[in-house]
Amino acid sequence: MSRPVFRSAEERVRPARLDRDRGLVEAARRDPANFDALYRKYLAQVYSFALYELRDHHAAEDATERVFMRALTGLPRFEERADAFARADESTDVPGDASTFRVWLFRIARNVVANERRRDRRRPVAPLERAAGLASTDDSFETAAAREAGRAAWQAVARLPEDRRRAVILRFVDEMSTAEIAEVLGRSEGAVRVLLHRALRSVAAELRGGLS
Amino acid sequence: MLGGGTRDARRTERYLDGLMAAEESGAAGAPMDLDLDPAVLFAARALRADLVRVHPSFRFEEGLAARLAEVAGGAGRTPDGRLGPDLGASIAPFRAPDGATPRDGYRPPAAPRRLSLTARPSRPFVVGGVSVASAISIGAVYVAWRRSHAAQTPMARAARAARSGRGGHASGHGRRAGVLHGILGVMP
Repeated sequence: MSRPVFRSAEERVRPARLDRDRGLVEAARRDPANFDALYRKYLAQVYSFALYELRDHHAAEDATERVFMRALTGLPRFEERADAFARADESTDVPGDASTFRVWLFRIARNVVANERRRDRRRPVAPLERAAGLASTDDSFETAAAREAGRAAWQAVARLPEDRRRAVILRFVDEMSTAEIAEVLGRSEGAVRVLLHRALRSVAAELRGGLS
Repeated sequence: MLGGGTRDARRTERYLDGLMAAEESGAAGAPMDLDLDPAVLFAARALRADLVRVHPSFRFEEGLAARLAEVAGGAGRTPDGRLGPDLGASIAPFRAPDGATPRDGYRPPAAPRRLSLTARPSRPFVVGGVSVASAISIGAVYVAWRRSHAAQTPMARAARAARSGRGGHASGHGRRAGVLHGILGVMP
């Protein structure tokens, strides 16, 4: 008999909040040259988060560089916490109380991206689809249709309010759990669930509006 | 007592957990929850298919790795183990962590999900495209087989001789067949 996909809330076991990157973090602390392993592991995730938020690949590259530079120099201040839900210190770009390395890294990313967005409000930004979705003359029908579908999804997500948009990107692109998103955004898990649910309803309305 | 909104949000979360777990385990179909709002179901599947993770360029990746290595190489440690400026330090190339094993979390970087969206199996147009391609292939095989197995009766031979005697006055059917042959690469 196959295992049921859904289990009740009582049956679900909350995973232990231990840092799965502990070995890599300790290695990087012993010798900063070992930070490379953490960098390679999370590069695409951080870059994608920045790209979806900033919608420009040059800005995303700049933000990614800043995130990893701050993580490298701030690594001694990172503390693994098994029980904390404490909010990041908004006054600095390097919060010191995250429970896992990934959450800590994405808190840095969230702050860097927020600063970048504030700076970019004064100047127009290239749409994400221009960075990643330019139609090509040798596109097959499938590629062109898929590109169109992707563009519609990106536009629907881009129109979401900031907190919903970030929750959607962290969930779908970076594949974070509700608990991780809650820690990155400094919200409760219940609030993140509601954010995601409402975001999906908005996206559905947006996509169906585009289809009709 | 949970409110309706909270209950729906929990249901959505369970669906998303199931959706991603099914993909991770390679299960064929997405989980079903008949009580889930169809709009949420639709959006979740669309976003799962279309919001791909994007990998930066190799050039950027290696360039940033070099800059980080430079910072790491220039960062000596203070007596209490913290990073500190050490301008005299040499630049150390990055290397894989010594003794890092999958158990302590080290994994080689996974191949990124490609930006190309053509590989997604659940898109209707992909299924449709495959069907059309299959039908065309079968048609091509049939045309080729008919050409190589022409009827050998006297009447058929006579008809073929009469047709070949028409020279360049191809009929509409012949022109259409020629176009089709050109598309399919079948020699008449």
